[in-house]
Amino acid sequence: MSGTHEHGHHHREPESVLSLRVRALESLLVEKKLVSSEAIDRVVATYEQDIGPHNGAKVVARAWVDPAYRARLLADGTAAIEELGFGGVDLQVVENTPGVHNLVVCTLCSCYPHALIGLPPVWYKSFEYRSRAVREPRVVLREFGVDLPESTEIRIWDSSAELRYLVLPERPAGTERLGEAELAKLVTRDAMIGVAVVKPPAAAAR
Amino acid sequence: MNGIHDMGGMHGFGRVEREDNEPVFHARWEGRVLGISRACSAHGIFNIDESRHAIERMAPVDYLSSSYYERWHDRNVRLLVEKGVITREELERRMSELAAGKDPATPHSDPKLLDRMLRVTRERTPYRRPGPAPRFAVGDRVLTRHDAPVGHTRLPRYARGKPGVIVRVHGTFIFPDAHAHGQGEQSHALYSVRFDAALLWGESAEPRAPVHIDLWERYLLPDAPARST
Amino acid sequence: MDAVPSREIADMKGAAALPRKNGELVFDEAWQGRIFGMTVAMSHDACFAWRDFQSHLIDEIGHAEREGESSTYYERWLHAFEQLLADKGLLDAVALDERTREFESGRRDDVF
Repeated sequence: MSGTHEHGHHHREPESVLSLRVRALESLLVEKKLVSSEAIDRVVATYEQDIGPHNGAKVVARAWVDPAYRARLLADGTAAIEELGFGGVDLQVVENTPGVHNLVVCTLCSCYPHALIGLPPVWYKSFEYRSRAVREPRVVLREFGVDLPESTEIRIWDSSAELRYLVLPERPAGTERLGEAELAKLVTRDAMIGVAVVKPPAAAAR
Repeated sequence: MNGIHDMGGMHGFGRVEREDNEPVFHARWEGRVLGISRACSAHGIFNIDESRHAIERMAPVDYLSSSYYERWHDRNVRLLVEKGVITREELERRMSELAAGKDPATPHSDPKLLDRMLRVTRERTPYRRPGPAPRFAVGDRVLTRHDAPVGHTRLPRYARGKPGVIVRVHGTFIFPDAHAHGQGEQSHALYSVRFDAALLWGESAEPRAPVHIDLWERYLLPDAPARST
Repeated sequence: MDAVPSREIADMKGAAALPRKNGELVFDEAWQGRIFGMTVAMSHDACFAWRDFQSHLIDEIGHAEREGESSTYYERWLHAFEQLLADKGLLDAVALDERTREFESGRRDDVF
């Protein structure tokens, strides 16, 4: 790079044309006082936290790295998520194991752990899911792309009371080196409902 | 009640359809319905059990042809009218005024209400209450009642008159069947009950697919110990 | 949660729908979040109406599809935003090109 700036030992990835252009745009607009960088930061934070399963993902990631937390989570979900600052949900956490896969539904309406994973997707509230998940879970899961061996027990949880259910998915193989934050990024809303499994990073398509 | 909402196990619905990049709301009015619901909650105009039962009372054909937020809107109007907060005539009059381009309402802000609504959104009201000691323990075999109450209940039709096993004792909770009808909380024991798929669905049941339902003690009777399946 | 997202923005539909994965907004790269934030922040400050930006975005997406361009959603967003700023006389394309060159050459290095 030409120019007067010394970057010292810090090696920077070549920046994409788009990234440079956006930086230039921000620079000009800030200069003209048309926008402030703080405002941009705030907007991004607000919309990223808008609706989303990131709270649940944090809980799952913690359970993966901390066996004692996992035990507490399975014993008393409500108290365990409060440890991480998530309150106000009476929660039951059900764990997937090699022999057991859990699936959550509300046949009578659409109860869902909102506080932890945001608003439910339309399909979760659909008549199709509500009627079929309890009766033919294996077929429904296959439609979602999850093919389980016949020997796996599928436990369906019909959320008929004010308790909410969260599936603790299995940690994918090959993630031993990942930190908690990186693990949380792998955990999907669908996996916490039970219609998906968590894929290892190489397989997770964007 | 034997309502259309009670659809666990029904045949005839097709594939579960999924939408890519699904927005949180598909139309602006949906978000307004959610906000109105939170406001009603924050004001304590209706409790969650009443709100569920109001949706259940929709005519089946209306229920099936409405979207989720349409049902919520129907529920809001039904309960606001029943509770005497608005009348249907008022509502219709206001709709005509708006259609004619007049809006008599004056915007105002109410930070305290907003705070309560945000709290309602972020936190759930706890439904656990003190109640009588549970009758059943983990491992007990139970039989669900098969009678169909006319009002609100959380025992699904597909699990009526069925044998199950207690897998968890949750504690004591507000009883929806009473709470939805202004009969007080009548809190008592709530259990997680496990049902064998074959006993629910018969021959067409998938193997190894047990269903677990959270059920109140009043839905349950003790089952004879060594019941053969 | 001090701010609440505008549903008009968050819930755009069809081709203009914000990319989501798993119910969450997706910014594959940091600049995408920045351009999103910039556009929304300026719309909040009433530099332009959201409708205006949205129609530019829809036009840009339509144009790109017709031309068979492989541009991504946020590339199209960026083009739409630049076009909007030009139309409103808020930004001059020449100035932007020049500023971009300054960043590219390392003459400028502001980090946001």
